[in-house]
Amino acid sequence: MSDEAKVGIVLVSHSAALAEGTAEVAGQIGGGTVAIATAGGTDDGCIGTSIAKVRRALGLADAGAGVVILPDLGSSVLTVRALLSEAEDLPESLAVADAPFVEGAVAATVAAAAGGDIKAVLGAAEEARHARKL
Amino acid sequence: MPESCEAAITLTGDLHARPAGSLAVAAAKFDSAVELTVGASRADARSVLAVMGLGATSGQHLTVRAVGPDAREAVTTMIDILAAATPVGG
Repeated sequence: MSDEAKVGIVLVSHSAALAEGTAEVAGQIGGGTVAIATAGGTDDGCIGTSIAKVRRALGLADAGAGVVILPDLGSSVLTVRALLSEAEDLPESLAVADAPFVEGAVAATVAAAAGGDIKAVLGAAEEARHARKL
Repeated sequence: MPESCEAAITLTGDLHARPAGSLAVAAAKFDSAVELTVGASRADARSVLAVMGLGATSGQHLTVRAVGPDAREAVTTMIDILAAATPVGG
């Protein structure tokens, strides 16, 4: 199971720093074996989202086992949806997680590191909504 | 009948994010269900967020319980990871 390609993760955020920081945390906790790509901020480096960055991140994260996309808020979701509706040159297997950004990224990365398929990784991310931290 | 196995360890360091991740990744590779108990709190070892949510700290007694065909190996693996988890923060 662990020899096969792992599900990749794409973090879509309004902020490049937020996306990269979250990727760093998730990567550390997940043991560094999962491809986590980020699409943070606009093309000119402002706060916002970029369809081109999401497209690029999908290409980087895809190792053949599919990609789970985690949007942070609002227009991140709209940007992802807009890209997926184009449906050209995208990884074959894609899922968008309705999950808290940091917790979802960590849970998804750990599930992917354990060799989970796209359904398992998506499920782990979405279960993060119910995780209590206190 | 499924095998059941249990072991306990006194933590020498806090159960930080990184060891929680290692536990969850390792637990998912077994067929057995693996549960961690600290005091009154329990967590499915496959859920990294639940394991972190235990808030287990150095000196606390943690019990690993597994039920399933590879319960013994699962418990041994969990205890090994916990024993190796350094007191340094992660």
